[in-house]
Amino acid sequence: MIFKNTTISRRTTIIAGLAGLFSLGSSGVNAQGQTALTFWTVRLNTPELAEALRGILAEFQKAYPSIKITHEPVSGGLVYPKFLAAVRGQTMPDVAEAYSYHPLQFAAMDQMEPMDDIIAHWKSNGTLDNIFNEYAYKKFFWKGRYWGVPYNLDIRPIYYRKDLLDAKGIKPPKNWAEFQSAAIATHNPSAGNFGAVFPAGDFHISQHFFMSFMLQAGGGILDKDGNLIFGTKAKEANIRALTFLTDLATKHKVTPPGIAAYNTDDAHTIFVQGRATFGFGTGGVISRIMKENPSLFDKVGILDVLEGPGGPTSRLSAGFYNPMFIWKHSPAKEAAKTFIKWFIQSGRLEPLYRTTPGQHWPIFKADVASPRVKGNRLLEEALTKVVPFTTDFAYPGFGRPEMGIIDGEKLFAAPVNEVVVGTKTPEKAVMDAHAKMARLFTT
Amino acid sequence: MLLKRRTRIAYFMILPSVAMITLLTLVPLLEGLIVSVQSQDMGRPNPTRFVGWEHYIRALFEDDDFWSSLRRTIIWTIGSVAGAYCLALSLALLVNIDIQGRKFFRALFLLPWVVPEVSTALLWKWLYGDEFGILNFILKSLGIVSSPVLWLADPNLAMPSVIAVQIWKLYPVMFIVLLAALQNVPKELHEAAIIDGANSRQRFWYITLPFIRGTSVITTLLASIWSFQNFDIIYLLTGGGPAGVTKVLATLMYQKAFWGSEMGYAAAIGVLMLVVLLLLSIAYLFAYKVQKD
Repeated sequence: MIFKNTTISRRTTIIAGLAGLFSLGSSGVNAQGQTALTFWTVRLNTPELAEALRGILAEFQKAYPSIKITHEPVSGGLVYPKFLAAVRGQTMPDVAEAYSYHPLQFAAMDQMEPMDDIIAHWKSNGTLDNIFNEYAYKKFFWKGRYWGVPYNLDIRPIYYRKDLLDAKGIKPPKNWAEFQSAAIATHNPSAGNFGAVFPAGDFHISQHFFMSFMLQAGGGILDKDGNLIFGTKAKEANIRALTFLTDLATKHKVTPPGIAAYNTDDAHTIFVQGRATFGFGTGGVISRIMKENPSLFDKVGILDVLEGPGGPTSRLSAGFYNPMFIWKHSPAKEAAKTFIKWFIQSGRLEPLYRTTPGQHWPIFKADVASPRVKGNRLLEEALTKVVPFTTDFAYPGFGRPEMGIIDGEKLFAAPVNEVVVGTKTPEKAVMDAHAKMARLFTT
Repeated sequence: MLLKRRTRIAYFMILPSVAMITLLTLVPLLEGLIVSVQSQDMGRPNPTRFVGWEHYIRALFEDDDFWSSLRRTIIWTIGSVAGAYCLALSLALLVNIDIQGRKFFRALFLLPWVVPEVSTALLWKWLYGDEFGILNFILKSLGIVSSPVLWLADPNLAMPSVIAVQIWKLYPVMFIVLLAALQNVPKELHEAAIIDGANSRQRFWYITLPFIRGTSVITTLLASIWSFQNFDIIYLLTGGGPAGVTKVLATLMYQKAFWGSEMGYAAAIGVLMLVVLLLLSIAYLFAYKVQKD
């Protein structure tokens, strides 16, 4: 009755309508009253993974009809420009999954929502105890806050040929010395078999194997306080690791001669074709063996993480716990947290892991018992022998934004490559890499 | 009044082109210049912070990688363009004479042009492979080598090997342009020269070459610009290795921008590349003009 004599002009109606739409948009609520969440993925965009992800997101929609997820894949090569443009335009996704150190880099730009409450929630419900390694989440701890949470893992195991070792009466090596002897003993180029194959090209993933040996030698990049020690306190251990790895190619000559131009796939190919006793690879080798050379499957095993000069406590393998994170200015932060808590649960991502066995790895111990793992010996071996020892390459330090650039700029690929082609000694290569890293830490 | 109206219509007609050129060329160029004086670093707060000449000073006076990459870029460009020009001219001269299957050869020589750069890189990676490469297989089968040639893994061979790929990719466009130029050389001049007793080398040097010089200058200049900026082939074949011997400015810029997250510094490298290209182009055209005069 009050409005009976009120005149509403056309202009007022339009303004009111636009204001309503704007308020819906700015609060993250769509026209159906659902909270709208934008979810960017970087690592789940192959057709198989994207299909599996669609199924998982549909399940989430069923469980939470009040939240509407819009999934947007981001090409791996465009991660930086896409996110940088989003930061500049303040159009970041509400929630995203991306490469290892992205949340810390975005946190350094003051764009990340702290995830301390999720970590606290996980602590209270026992989720943290179910995660393989505490560095899975501690790597996202910087300046007193957690800026991301891990949801899956990339590993860097060493595969071996059981039949070739058996033929020589050699047991699977447990330490550096045994590994080296076995590679030399089984190297037989005239029969088309190399002792070992690893990528030593100037490519991104090539560098990750040096990181494992560095940790096993007792070396590293950072100390526990996050200070750079690569070419100082850890210098000798790191040189020893680089020497051990590159000696396989330069001194013992048990690798294919052209590894200085190899990317990861090249090394995988040699191993999958059955032409090397030991193959350094990603988890994706398992998929490739199953698809391309299934007869090799029963002849292949995964080595225990080797013990190096650093002793039993340094039996570690470099790996990459991949994060999910939330934009600080998202209008739907709570919905994003609800999504993350739902998404990161033991068993939830099984459809992803089933599509390409070995490409991505769960972070939860309980997943070892899944039928998928129980039915695939190599998955089980990796999950029991490698994953529990997989740590971040910032170990024993927690994360730092600079680590993303160190990994991104391939500062570890160059030393391996340079020593293998003989342009630098291990010491010179380590010290040059240290100088480049030091610049990142001081600017 | 009519003229004014016609002028207005003319401006209106070219407006879409001007708008497109502005949007696609000038705006990105301007954006690149702006980014080059900002921090734009994903590891630092305030990514749009103005840093002035900082990135340029770093590239020119502090970063050894810039100068070594520039040197390698010049080697790569000269090697690629010179090689592609010689090959294209040889093939164009060959196809310009009346031989059987001329049309087939013309089409055949153009094939590399239509192969995408990524496919080109992968194709050549397989050709060059140490274990499975066709080149090494042939060389071994013929008994020319006993162990595989490390085309991409040997620091002494890597740059010539990637240059060979760029020559393969670059020559078709030069070939087609040079062939068109050759077909415009008046036959009467050659006939007169033959009557005067000129041999084929003299006819090429004093008749053909002066006629195609202008076309040659333009094609080599364009090819130089394309090669100078080329990224895909080197990045996919060697990643800049081994030991950095194939790291050129384009791969350095990519590494800084997309992996090192230093957009500002990468943009500064891009601007410096533009300046170097401009200087080279001016010098080149000036030299051509002097010679022509």
